[in-house]
Amino acid sequence: MAQTFEPNLIGFLCNWCSYAAADLAGSNKLEVPANLATIRVMCSSRVDPIFILNAYLRGIDGVIIAGCHPGDCHYQTGNYYARRRFALLSKILKTFNLDPHRFRLSWISASEGQRFSQVTKEFAESIQKAGPNPLRKKPFID
Amino acid sequence: MKGKIIKNSDNINTKIREILESLISKQIFDAVFVPVRVPTGESFTYLLIKDKNILKDCIPLPPIMSVQGARAFKDLTRLGKLKYKILCVMRPCEIRAMIELSKLRQVTLEDVSFLSLDCPGVYQTADYIIEPEKYDKSFSSLLEKWEPEGLRPNCRVCNHFSNQEINSDLHIGFYDQSLILVPLTKKGEEIFTSLGFESTDDLADWENRKNELLRRREEIRNKTFTELHNQTNGMEGLENFFKGCINCHNCMRVCPICYCRQCFFESTDQLRRESEDYLIRTEKKGGIRFPVDRMLFHLGRMTHMSLSCVGCGVCEDGCPMDIPVGQIFNFIGDEVQKMFEYLPGRDKDEPIPVLTYKEDELHEYEDAQETK
Repeated sequence: MAQTFEPNLIGFLCNWCSYAAADLAGSNKLEVPANLATIRVMCSSRVDPIFILNAYLRGIDGVIIAGCHPGDCHYQTGNYYARRRFALLSKILKTFNLDPHRFRLSWISASEGQRFSQVTKEFAESIQKAGPNPLRKKPFID
Repeated sequence: MKGKIIKNSDNINTKIREILESLISKQIFDAVFVPVRVPTGESFTYLLIKDKNILKDCIPLPPIMSVQGARAFKDLTRLGKLKYKILCVMRPCEIRAMIELSKLRQVTLEDVSFLSLDCPGVYQTADYIIEPEKYDKSFSSLLEKWEPEGLRPNCRVCNHFSNQEINSDLHIGFYDQSLILVPLTKKGEEIFTSLGFESTDDLADWENRKNELLRRREEIRNKTFTELHNQTNGMEGLENFFKGCINCHNCMRVCPICYCRQCFFESTDQLRRESEDYLIRTEKKGGIRFPVDRMLFHLGRMTHMSLSCVGCGVCEDGCPMDIPVGQIFNFIGDEVQKMFEYLPGRDKDEPIPVLTYKEDELHEYEDAQETK
């Protein structure tokens, strides 16, 4: 059997929505990529672009940030700031041609267990297609 | 545009000094914040000056930027607003950095007035300290010729070298051995009238030359940015660009915008780790380089400050390894600023894009994944 590439993924999940959605997906026995490591944050705006860059430079294959739908932020406006920061990071990555396809921002509410499963599966598949992060074997680049 | 032309000002520093002296004498300002040549001669520093006699030694437009004015000013309002009135005599990029710092709540601009100057650019400090006399001489002719050769690379591509989109109160331009005084705000108008000037002179000649210079600068700017873009394509290009970096973080220390008292990259969170952490990191990569997080530092700093980058180039001046770090920050700054239609230092009431938001925007970044 040919060895298939299983991407290493990191998900930054908002405590108030996506993290609960992940929980719900689990309780409902929905499929979620097994190699998605989740990190609970209190808000999607807690994710400094440096966290994402750090994961990328250390060889993580894909990073997903999930927060509350616009208008639903537990802190009223956090996700709007998160979106701006994500756009800023995407622009920098795109300008330097640094694998912008390995990063995703999604809105997943606490009741959307189904959506959580679907979004993460879709993300894992696309990263699988894209192949491993080329920085994985580059000890001089950190 | 109307202003006041003061003819036969062959030594601009002397003329500006007279203006500053008169502002102090008339008690319009309690002090001025202005560059002065250090007594040993080969460098410059900012002085907060109250005494008219010390004002005699000031060099409002020095040939180098040994310290960025905004960086120098920062300590003054650390504990809140000034309790006296001062005038800051600065280059346009220094004033723009001041405005950015005020948005980041690092300086308070109440009771601070700005006098901006036409800036032909500065020389690189490392070049200057070797032959100060030579560069002093060539700098004096620079205001006539405005040749980009020999200047700091960021100055060669600067498109805000005069009163373009600036948050200054009073501007002084130079043209044909004359000083051009232009009040830009109400506060500036008051200073201007208190000096006994009236806006009666037509400034078309100065403006035409300024626009012609701008057109030439834009050409060089576009060409340089295209080259930089090609050079930094992909991680290989970036690594090649930063290959000499010794991770000293000096670019961050001299940057006027990088204000954090402790940089994330020097924080205990980032640096005090269990030895096992490093070994775990080697598992995927085979090995990791020390000191750690060199590329992360540069890319991370870009995400933190590029929106406010005024392209002064002081980081490049401070780099001991001669990495064109100022140019790459200027380039990426330009890219991200254009994306948000933002210009640092243009307007003190215009919020930095990551400190504000609109409800209905940027939907192209939601659930969107670039396909390879």
